[in-house]
Amino acid sequence: MKRLILTLTIAVAAVTFSKAQNSYVDFAYSIGFGTGDMGDFIKKASFRGITFDYRYAVQPNIAIGFNLGWNTFYEEKGSDSYTVDNATLTGKQYRYSNNVPMLATGTYLFSPDEFLCPYVALGVGTMYARRNTDMNLYTLEEEGWPFVLQPEVGLRLQAADNVGVLVNLKYLNGFKAGDFDSTQSYFTLNVGFAFH
Amino acid sequence: MKHFLKASLVLLLAGCYPQGPEYVEDTDVVYTTHDEKYTFSDKDTYARPDKIVMDVKIDNGDTTYEYMPDKFADQIFDKIDDNMTALGYDRIPLNGDTDPDLLLTPAALSSTTYFYSYWYDWWYGCYYGCGWGWYYPPYYTISSYTTGSMIITLTDPHSAENSPINRSQTVWVSAGNGLVNYAYDISRVLKSIDQAFKQSPYLTTK
Repeated sequence: MKRLILTLTIAVAAVTFSKAQNSYVDFAYSIGFGTGDMGDFIKKASFRGITFDYRYAVQPNIAIGFNLGWNTFYEEKGSDSYTVDNATLTGKQYRYSNNVPMLATGTYLFSPDEFLCPYVALGVGTMYARRNTDMNLYTLEEEGWPFVLQPEVGLRLQAADNVGVLVNLKYLNGFKAGDFDSTQSYFTLNVGFAFH
Repeated sequence: MKHFLKASLVLLLAGCYPQGPEYVEDTDVVYTTHDEKYTFSDKDTYARPDKIVMDVKIDNGDTTYEYMPDKFADQIFDKIDDNMTALGYDRIPLNGDTDPDLLLTPAALSSTTYFYSYWYDWWYGCYYGCGWGWYYPPYYTISSYTTGSMIITLTDPHSAENSPINRSQTVWVSAGNGLVNYAYDISRVLKSIDQAFKQSPYLTTK
């Protein structure tokens, strides 16, 4: 059922967006790796992620567009003790980090009409970042809307007339904001469908 | 179509959202705190009551206590005494003739929280044009959860002399808390007592 929904969603969106030859539409499954403060909070890689890119070619090699994504990091910590001043709390922690980037992007395509098209891109914008630390029946919630800079390198393979596959690597660098007093950053490895 | 896409995405993403605790034990926590200025190392003795208070009822000015059945309370006391002995304390009787350095008081409490939620049944259909909607009235569900707490305090009876309100100073508090599963199994409580002492190494007299 889930597979059917996913296939339908991708198919409908692809038809809607890729009618124009100047448009590039990417849907990708996203694997995340936390770095810095986020990596300290959750060491495990995230296998729950999705990313969507729309790029419009203003010149053959240059495209502007936007990127939306969602990466959920999760780690169940074993029972451990946490001490602050003269108080100690012991128990299991369940840690969640949800990140929804919303970025404007600029892309440089090295060979737009070739079978293999490498590209580089830079995204600028914000993301909704929420971190939950669950213990007992309570949750400690931290939120923020950090400013984000996201460099990206990728490769598109044009398999058919307007359908292909893509793989890319993004580094989402979120500056400190809201409840977060340090940067919120992670790498994503994305593999998905590319429509042109 | 927009609604369909939105609903598809929500279903898809909700399906892979990570779950939290699976078992009631996963909610167990042990909290301890102490007076950092207090010196435990020069104390030798403690006294405690023989019963564990579970509830207090006040009726027309009369106060009555509800105590934990002995078959459970005895296991808890054994566990507390073992830990206090290991830290170097001697237990002495609690009566007017003795003068313990510390008083240990245990209490077991439970608390039930009720909450309700509701949701509308949704439909999608084509009668006079297609669309989404909600059936009325919504369904209501009422749920509850019960948590149990094992609280142990250590107080210094001699400090009451220096208190303007003649109260003994509490120098250590431990609270173990978790979801109650009504299994008549106190192993989780015993485990929490061991943990409370384990994370309080400053209690030692050695």
